[in-house]
Parts: sequence; C-alpha cells; structure tokens
Amino acid sequence: MAVLVVGGGVAGILAALDLARAGQPVTLAERFQHLGGQVARLDKIYPTDHCAFCPLWTDIRNCLDHPRITVLSSATIREMKKEGDRWAVRILREPPVIEERLCIFCGRCEKACGEGAVHPLLDQAYAPVYCIDAEKCTRCGRCEPLCPTKAIDLNRKTVEDRVVVREVLWATGFENGDLKPLPEFGYGTHPDILTALEFEEWTAESGANRGRIVRRSDFRVPSRIAFIQCAGARDSRMYPYCSSVCCMHALKQAEWVKRRIPDIDCTIFYTDLRAVGRDYFKYSMKDVPGDPIRLVRGRPGLVFALPGGGIAVKYEDTFKQERRIERFDLVILNGNLKPAPAPETGMGPSLLDGEGFVDTAVGFGCGFAVEPGDIMDAAVQAASASMRMIGRDKN
Amino acid sequence: MAKTVVLLCRCFGELDGIIALDGIADRLRAEREDTSVYLLNSLCMEEDAHRIGALLKQEGARAVCAGLCAAGSKREALWESLRNAGIERSGLFTADLREGCAWIHQGNPPGATEKAKDLLFMALAALDEKKASADVSADVHPECLVLGAGPAGLAAAVSLAGQGIPVHLVERAAQPGGMLNLISRTYPGDDHAKTRIEPLLREVETNNMIAFYPRSKVVSVRGFAGDFKIGIQGPDGTLRLRAGAVIIATGAGVLLPRGLYRYGELKQVITQMELERQWIRGVPDDKRFAFIQCAGARSPERAYCSTICCPSSLKNAMRVMEEIPGGEATIFHRDIMTPGNLLEAYYRKSMEKGVRFIRFHEEDPPEILGGDRVEAIRVRDAARGKEQVLALEKVVLSTPLVPNMDNRSLRELFQLELDSHGFFSETYPLHPLETRVDGIFIAGSARWPVSSDKAMEQGEGAAMKALGMLKRDRVSALSLSRTPGEKPGHGTVEERTCTGCGNCVSVCPFLACSLQERDGRFVSRVNKMRCKACGSCVSVCPNGTMQIPEHNYRMVGAMIRRAFP
Repeated sequence: MAVLVVGGGVAGILAALDLARAGQPVTLAERFQHLGGQVARLDKIYPTDHCAFCPLWTDIRNCLDHPRITVLSSATIREMKKEGDRWAVRILREPPVIEERLCIFCGRCEKACGEGAVHPLLDQAYAPVYCIDAEKCTRCGRCEPLCPTKAIDLNRKTVEDRVVVREVLWATGFENGDLKPLPEFGYGTHPDILTALEFEEWTAESGANRGRIVRRSDFRVPSRIAFIQCAGARDSRMYPYCSSVCCMHALKQAEWVKRRIPDIDCTIFYTDLRAVGRDYFKYSMKDVPGDPIRLVRGRPGLVFALPGGGIAVKYEDTFKQERRIERFDLVILNGNLKPAPAPETGMGPSLLDGEGFVDTAVGFGCGFAVEPGDIMDAAVQAASASMRMIGRDKN
Repeated sequence: MAKTVVLLCRCFGELDGIIALDGIADRLRAEREDTSVYLLNSLCMEEDAHRIGALLKQEGARAVCAGLCAAGSKREALWESLRNAGIERSGLFTADLREGCAWIHQGNPPGATEKAKDLLFMALAALDEKKASADVSADVHPECLVLGAGPAGLAAAVSLAGQGIPVHLVERAAQPGGMLNLISRTYPGDDHAKTRIEPLLREVETNNMIAFYPRSKVVSVRGFAGDFKIGIQGPDGTLRLRAGAVIIATGAGVLLPRGLYRYGELKQVITQMELERQWIRGVPDDKRFAFIQCAGARSPERAYCSTICCPSSLKNAMRVMEEIPGGEATIFHRDIMTPGNLLEAYYRKSMEKGVRFIRFHEEDPPEILGGDRVEAIRVRDAARGKEQVLALEKVVLSTPLVPNMDNRSLRELFQLELDSHGFFSETYPLHPLETRVDGIFIAGSARWPVSSDKAMEQGEGAAMKALGMLKRDRVSALSLSRTPGEKPGHGTVEERTCTGCGNCVSVCPFLACSLQERDGRFVSRVNKMRCKACGSCVSVCPNGTMQIPEHNYRMVGAMIRRAFP
C-alpha cells in the first residue's frame, strides 16, 4: 500500500526516493506545477556556491523516473479521513492549461499572446514547458489553435483523485511571512526594501534581470546594500524562533553581489552570526572581491525611504555603542520565514503546534515543516522520517 | 537491409524554413550506402515512437542516429521503442538540430542547414566507432556493518534490524552508548543521558538480528557496494564479516584545551565533559560558574563551530540555577548558536531562568584571575563597552568536538574522504549521509559535530540509505550511477598498450584505478563498481590506453575529421 508525501520540495523528493528505493510505493503531491519547491527558485546555494537547481535536478529526475513514485503536481489536499489504519485522501488537481506531456516548447503560444501571459514555467525547469499566468490571461483563445500538439486547453477541468494510503508524510516546507505588521522595517513602503527571497529572484542569473544587480526603483546599480537579519524572526511579536538559514543566506547573497560587482558595499546587520554546519564558519570568513563584507552587530530599529532617494537605516553598532543612521540603495530583509500551511483537514488541529510546525509525535514530517533548517537538515530528516514510516508496517 | 537508420525530427514543422531537412536526407542517403533516412513529424509523441519501433525492426537496424531537439525530458517514448528494437546505447548517437542549430541560426537558413548536415555526418562517423562498456554484477549480501555503537550507530542498527536486516554492530569500547556514557543529561529535553538510547540498548541485547562486537575494530576491507568483506579484530581474535552496506558512526573526540584560559594550571578551570562527570557524581559544591564558549573553536587552528557547545552550556547553566542553592551562571560568548525552533526556545528558557550572558569580541577574550585558584574573570563586555570583573569559583570551557584518532586509518581502510578538519566527507550537496564510495554511509559526529538526538536521526537516515542498497537482489556496476539512468560507461584499459605509469591511479577521485601485476609488468585495472566514468583517467593517460568505450577517442577523432576534412 502506498504512502502519501505532501510537498515536492527537497524534503519531499528525497523522502519519496528513499521510500521508493526500499520498496515502498509513494504518491507525491505538490501544489505547484513543478517539483523542487523553494530551492528550485533560488539562484545559488551555500556552502558550495552551486547553482541551486543543478544538484536538485538529478533527484527531481530520479523521482519522476522511479516506477514506484507517482507524482501529482498542481495538486492540493482537500480532505483526509482516517479509516481504520489507513487514510482516505481527496486530492484536487488543477491540470495546467498547457499540458506538459504535449508541450514541445516551440513558443508559438508565447509569440501570439498579446498580454504577456505565456512564459516558460521555470527557466531551469527539468522539462521545458510553457505555462499561462491566470491573472494576465484574458482567455482570448488566440494561442489554442496555434499549438501543433494541441497541448493548450483553456477549459481544462479540475480533476479529483481519491487515494487510500497507509501513512502520510508532511514535507510542506516554508514561505515568506508578511512583514507589514512590523512597520519599522518599512516593508511595502518602497520598491528597494525587499525580502531576501524577492532579492534572490530579482538578481538570479536565470531571472528577469539575468543576474544584473540593480535597484527595483530605477534599475540603476546600487552602491550600498544593507542586509538586515532577524526581521520578523526571534521576535515575540511575530516569529519567536530562529529561521536557521538566514545568516548563511545573507552571507551567500552578499558574496554573490561582490563577485558580480566588487564595488558594491555590503553590510550585514546581525544578532548572532549563525554559521553552524559543515564549513559554514569557513564560508563566513571567506575573502570576497573588493572590500570585505561589513558585519555590524545590531538589529536596526528603523528603515525608511528618504525623500531625495535611497533608504535610511537607523541602527546601533553594539560593539561600539554607537547609534547611527546610514543611507543605502537597497535593503534586504531576512528572517520572516514560516512553515507553509499544512492542510490539516481530517488530521485535526493537533498536527500543528502554535507556530504552525508539524508535531512529529502526532504525524510524520521532515524539513522546514517540522523545524527550521536548510537543505542538509531536510535531507537527513527525509531519510530518518522515511525509516520510521517504513518501520511501522512490514508490507 | 540497412544497418544504420537516421531519424530526423521535423518537430511539427518547427524547422521548416530554417533547415532544409529533405535535402540533407538526400545527401545522407547518397553518401552512405548502408543508411536509411526517415523524416518524422516528431520523435517524442507516442504514435510516432510506435512507428519508429516498427520501422527499426523492419530495417533490421543495428544503429540509430537521431537528429532532434535538446529537451532530454521528452525522450521516454523514443528510448523505449529503441530498446524494444534491440538498439543498445552503444548503437545510438544524437545531434541537436533545434536549440543548438535552428534556433540560434534563425536568421541564416543556409548556414543552419549546412551546420545541421555537418552535425549529422559527424554523428554517423561517431556511431561507426562507438563501443559498449562491459558490465559486472554481483549478488547483494543483505547484511549491514555498523561501526560504532553510540547513539548514531545504535539507531542505525535497531532501524535495520527492525526491517529484518542482520546487523554487525562493531564497537571499540567494552560497552555500547558512546559519548552518552560520559555525560549526565542531554538537551533540549534535559533527560538523563541514557534515556533516549535505553530502548535501543535493550534491543541490542535481546534482538538476535543484531550481533554486537565489543572491544573490536576494523583491520581490513575488501569488496564493493553489495558485497564488502571486512576483517574485524576483537578480544577473541580476527573475524571475517560480509556486508552489503557499511555505516560509519564512530563519533568524535573532545578537545582538551591545554594552554587555554589557564586550563591545567588551575584546578577550577574544567571542560564541559569534566562538569558532566561531576554532575554524575552529585551536585557540585561551587556556586558561581562561568561558561566560556568557543574555547579552541572558531579560531584559525580550528575554523569551525562545533554546534553543540552553546546548547550544552545553556543546559548546564540552567542546572546550576535550578539545582545549586544560590547558584549563579554566566555564559561568556561570541555568538549564541541556537538556530531553529527548539534550540531558540531553549535559549529563551535559559534567560527566563536567570542565566546571564556577556558577549566578548574574538580579539579580546576573557582573562582568568587568581593566584593558586580561580578567583574572578575579567572581560571586556562587548555590548556595554566596558570592562567587567566577576568573582566566581568555577570556569567551564566549551571545547569543540574533534575528529577521532581512528578517522585516518578508517579513511585508508574504506578509501573515503576526510574534509579539511578531519571529519568524514559526504557527497554534496543533497546527500549528507552518503560518501564517494557506494554502499558506505556516515552518521553522527564522525561526519560533523552533532547532538545525540540529531546523531540518532542521522543513524536512522543512514539506515534508510543502506536499506535502499540491501533491498536489491543484485547490483550491477552500470546501475551504480549518481545521475538519472545508467552510468555513461566505464573506464576501460587496453592492456597491450598500458605502460603502468599510474597517472590514472593518482587522478581518480573514486579510487577506482589500481596497478596490477600481469606477466611481470604492471597494468592498470579499473574497479567497475567504483568507476563513475568521469573521464579523469582518460585525460591523463599518455597514450590513449584508457578509454570510455561509449566516448572513445576514435569517435572524437572521426567527428573532428568529418568536421574539418
């Protein structure tokens, strides 16, 4: 009997592979059209500085090819009911307008669209395929007859699947929380105040700007960038926990900014510089082109747009006991990561704790859904959670 | 009957107007007698793939050259029809006519057509020279060797035994438990040290799937994934064990901070481990404790964070506050390393309990004051910017975990890799428990400093990885690929021309090459189970002896000669 893995990011993919290779059939449900989750949308990963997608692609491919793994993408869990020692799960799938199996990536649809609604799904997706942005699409229907393989169906119907599984593994990962309730960070008041994930997408080599580092307000190259750590995290008003990945993430982003444009000054405002895993400390001490990355210990108390241009950051350098205001061109906010909502229908409210993390005393889980951590942590937890799941049943 | 079939994909008319496929087809037929050329609407859609299968059988094709797009994800149907027609990988060569030809030369149809023609002729020339690697396979021995019976090894052993896999649990000490035998409590649950492993220890004693070998160590290793042959030396002599997989969970040592903070000079300056021993004996007499973090870590000599020292100090500082009447605990730190949810909550709890924190700068560490005993600690408080002197009785140094002395000899025996600090390396970056040798896994502090709960998690994880290997009946060398599908081939030696120079041996990252004696001379031999076809050996071979048959130099030469006549 199959098990259900909810979430097709790093944690879910690796768990599915571990289970399948040990003989356990797996149904892997992912809410987006593509596998890979948050990591697939990153530019680079630490500490190896690989492109994020490349190492992930191997396991995505293995997942799609494995005979014991059934991948349901564009899928959301509608309901879960315990029936004896099994789970009956209703899964709603919204198959994409452009069917992946049929798309040959010729691009005729993209050329025909007058609204810019058609674009490649993910620049580094394992399967080159086009997709239609539902918000921009006017349903004019110009693209449909042009597709040589009839892959486009604007009236694609949602499909409901009902699966019965003996166990469920939650690997739903994380997402950005809203920083507007903390007005001191100025999020939402100016285009040049953005979250780390937004900055990653903005400056990714495969992103809209092809790796150029520019301001969102006027597309000019910034001369000073501030990275503010623990924005929203380690904060009793929002997320009391530490998101675990942000210190290394900021160091990585700052390093890549310097590699591309050594003249840009990068300052990281931190509370504790948590570079804890293998070679992370060495990574934090690495030489970069241009001036070194400036590390200031202190969480800024105020970030606001200046009338003449630029963003002011008011902070205390706690090592010098000095309060200062400095002007930056870009301010990157790091820390507001929270577990993505795990649809708990049928499993009861006790699956999730007060912060939204999966309680592993109640259900199986791995990755950020259980505890903030990075790719390495997710990989270890995926393997250990799989072991516990397989251990339960001798089938 | 044609021997080679060329399949040209029209890509639903995508190439029309850019590449004149029909003209190219005529040229191919004219120049090569044993070649049939077919133009198809697509090579990826199922209907077309079926048609291909039928015509390949009809032609009695032995080799296929395909001109198609670069989208590797659309090949499934095509590969299946080739397989059904008996075409091996060595009988296939592809040319990218779309992304790398038509699309980038859209404004130059004559140029694109010429290039496409050249690419196809080059592919045919390569196909003439393409060969197949030999494969080897062996039965998988469904038993596992676990080295080390600390929390990681115990978790691994019990997990595998629960799956019906016989486990050989080899331990250097006289009893299992590892580091947990030496400490009083664990964090963050503040349980007694052995609480978490008690059920595992019982399992080791009662479950006869687990054979426990105390006071034993590994002295020889032979074999490969699926069938390792390992020599163990114990108190009763040497034993030979066979295992399909190996988990290395040998833990780590603790640094003795000689020369730091007057350790060794003043009796009241102790390490965390020594404090744990005191707790085991009973409540310590002293009242005022200082904990100094990063003693010998995050320094030029040891440029890493040992992960467990900050939470360990929080644990012991809270104990001081709770169990010692009038107890005071101050933690002197550079950063407090409690990432995540559980540990950050533990940090908050310690602050609520009244533990004090003083941050110091790396360049300005605290100083221990006192003549023949510890009297006070002087520190430049980095957050307040002034000097502080605190009177106290006991100084506890948080020193890092360091690689075991055994790691180097184990590295030699198993031919693994150590990182720059001496811990066992994994294959980056999504496989933290796997090493460069298939079938050998790592868990716990042997890999990198971790707490016992994380070590147990890694032990379970490594057991899962091992299970993937041990559930196979047989393992073939070509199947031991780290990338999707089979390996590209194997390094293959032409023994007649091998000079025994050993370049390949030095350069192979997987230690797959070795020199063997043959008729009085040395020749290279490739262990196919280890070889990953990276090609390093081929590039350093001085006379072309080492080749990967599917990518041999005659193929490349033929392609070059065709491209530049």
